[in-house]
Amino acid sequence: MTAAALRARVAPWILLGPFLALFAVFTAYPLVTSIWLSTRQTFGPGYSRSVGLGNFAQLLSDPLFWTALRNTAVYTFGCVCIQIPLSLMLALVLNRPGLRMRAPLRLILFSPAMVGVVFVGMIFSVIFEKRTGLLNQLLHGAFGWDLDFPWLESYVMPALIIATLWQYVGFSMVYFLAALQNVPADLTEAARMDGAGPFRRFLHVVVPAIRPVGTFVVLLSIIGSFQIFELPYILMNGLGGPDNRALTLVMYLYQTGFQTGDLGYASAIGWAMALVLAACAVIQRVVSSGGENA
Amino acid sequence: MTTPGAMPPPHPDAHDQSRLAGPWIIGGLACLSILLTALFPVPEPEGVRLWTFARLHNDIYQPAVEEWNAAHEMQVQVSVLGIQAIEQRMLSSFLSGTPSAELLEVERRIAARAFAGPVEAVGLVDLTDRLRRDGLLEGMNATSFTPWTSRGRIFGLPHDVHPVMLGYRADIVEAAGIDVSQIETWDDFIRVLSPLMRNPDGGKRTDRFLLNLWETHMDVMEALTLQAGGGIVDQSGVPSLDHPANARVLAHAVAWGRGENRIAADAPYFNASGNRLLAEGFVIASFVPDWMCNLWRKEIPQLGGKVKLMPLPAWERGGRRTSAWGGSMLGIARDAPNTDALYEFAKHLYTSPELSRRLFQEGDIISPLRSFWNDPVYDQPDPYFSGQPRGRLFVSLAQDVPPRYNSAFSGLCLLRLQAATSRLAAYADRTGQDTPESLLPEAQRILTQAQAEMMERVSRNRFFAEDRAGTTEPGAAVPDTAEIVAAEKEAP
Repeated sequence: MTAAALRARVAPWILLGPFLALFAVFTAYPLVTSIWLSTRQTFGPGYSRSVGLGNFAQLLSDPLFWTALRNTAVYTFGCVCIQIPLSLMLALVLNRPGLRMRAPLRLILFSPAMVGVVFVGMIFSVIFEKRTGLLNQLLHGAFGWDLDFPWLESYVMPALIIATLWQYVGFSMVYFLAALQNVPADLTEAARMDGAGPFRRFLHVVVPAIRPVGTFVVLLSIIGSFQIFELPYILMNGLGGPDNRALTLVMYLYQTGFQTGDLGYASAIGWAMALVLAACAVIQRVVSSGGENA
Repeated sequence: MTTPGAMPPPHPDAHDQSRLAGPWIIGGLACLSILLTALFPVPEPEGVRLWTFARLHNDIYQPAVEEWNAAHEMQVQVSVLGIQAIEQRMLSSFLSGTPSAELLEVERRIAARAFAGPVEAVGLVDLTDRLRRDGLLEGMNATSFTPWTSRGRIFGLPHDVHPVMLGYRADIVEAAGIDVSQIETWDDFIRVLSPLMRNPDGGKRTDRFLLNLWETHMDVMEALTLQAGGGIVDQSGVPSLDHPANARVLAHAVAWGRGENRIAADAPYFNASGNRLLAEGFVIASFVPDWMCNLWRKEIPQLGGKVKLMPLPAWERGGRRTSAWGGSMLGIARDAPNTDALYEFAKHLYTSPELSRRLFQEGDIISPLRSFWNDPVYDQPDPYFSGQPRGRLFVSLAQDVPPRYNSAFSGLCLLRLQAATSRLAAYADRTGQDTPESLLPEAQRILTQAQAEMMERVSRNRFFAEDRAGTTEPGAAVPDTAEIVAAEKEAP
């Protein structure tokens, strides 16, 4: 083997080496360890005992886990179902030819995504206050709304969804806007010449063209929503909210693993969440590929 | 015009050179990073470290720390860390041996998290025998030890007592000619103060309530359960959510916030909105532990001279007139070297009369040192509280502060209590039941269900169950703070 050939063979490994080392230490090893941990009851790494599949069996009968799963699912459903159409609608508005102030509008709509989630939580904890909160004050002034309307007590989930929409609608909108700008103009023009109205052009030309981006944004929203932690943590002062209405899967995982020290049970919660996410991804894949085949 | 097809082919050496430049750049950067890290290491702090979560504590401790450092070889440095930073670093240290401070001043909810594993795995030094040897078990307020006790062993030196009183708008109450000395029970409180409820628009919307209490105020709810003789965990650390006293408190608290006879409202604690509502007189009375006086003075100065303190109304005549809210302690990390010297320092800090005096003067906190309770500093009138001798009022209740037991399940129990309160509130709204008597059976049912769920969780924790079985055997040579509390009560 010549020196040049040897170099050509070794060079990729040298380049890949740092990544592989980091991947092995920070991804592969924790992943394998978490599978092992999920079969144990632990108090930190120093004290652990095998419980077999006991942690997973416990999950099935743990009402807090089911509450957290239900809350997370409702939040995800609410976010995705409102966020995607809303951001697509905004993208369509911004994509209109001849629209003035397009760049400032795009910046304004996108800017909340640049704010840290902790700050969003703090801002909305003030906005949603009873009696002195901005939202109740505004609604009271406009419609005589109840000043004591309990956003953060009885309506925690709508409050969380509103805060999330404020932050991420602009973010999704940018993806859709980029996709819309790449829809071939000749296709829409041809459809128009064939007599298709705006709605039919949108449904049969624009939607198929932006489907890959839409699929990606939906998947991103689902994964992001399932990982929600900071927002309810800040809004509910680290607790799960009244009747655990704001307890999400990651919050429950955090409480179990890092506050009570049972990393084993927390690992089981993490793997249950991974399974749910994988199922969502498969369902979403099937649905989207079904659409493509049609 | 150049087209891609017309471009000359790249020279083969140029391709090789560009491909090999990458590894050299990455390798060079890696070597540079290693060199910089080696040449400029993060300096290790000298001496012993004490982490506290309160800047005020740090300021108060400085003279005592300087005095210690001048006289001893072991030098101590106090650092202020965020409460969550201490929590995470302390737990990381206990669970996986990462470095932490030798001395840790922590709040009771955080300390409880160290009690989840086997008792020998608690990352703090067991101080029980030392405290007994030095007479501190008797010299300090007995109930102040309870949050730092797990399975009969004490893991910290208590910092405080934290009795709870009611802070009330004396200007409004006295302008109405009401004498609060008539108030002994919660029923008296409602009866005597109800003329102060205000409905400016003829009952459509009340803009003044008697009590700052809401189903989301979990610290207050817990304090009320302790006052009533309940609590979320018992002395052995086992959940006690279904205690009848807890059901009674929940039924009253939910009923007080509903119906025609509503007397309670939500002026949230620890935020600007709540402070504004207090300043506006939206609520007449609010729960005030000793440390909160300091917050009020700083954050609601406009209430100066308008408020006074009174003991909590009891749940029945002759009943307890106070409770406990909060608490912190100084513990020694188990892996720290020279624990005897660290204990001596902790004792120097927490049993210093001068520091106890400053703790009250600058932090409004009553010392757990019983011998200090006669100090004249507690008799000084406080202009903010309309000239009342605030310290003496709190000290007079200190002996009656209920034990607040702690365990790894305390946090989860508090979540369950919050959930139970919300469920009861939802039941009250759904059924229109708004009296304590009508809500009591449902409160008990909800709490019994919560208790069953918690007990299932407890039964899973084999570390806790086994240790508990071991230390509660008859004749086990461990102190029981409940016994100390009982003995203290019987003492003349």
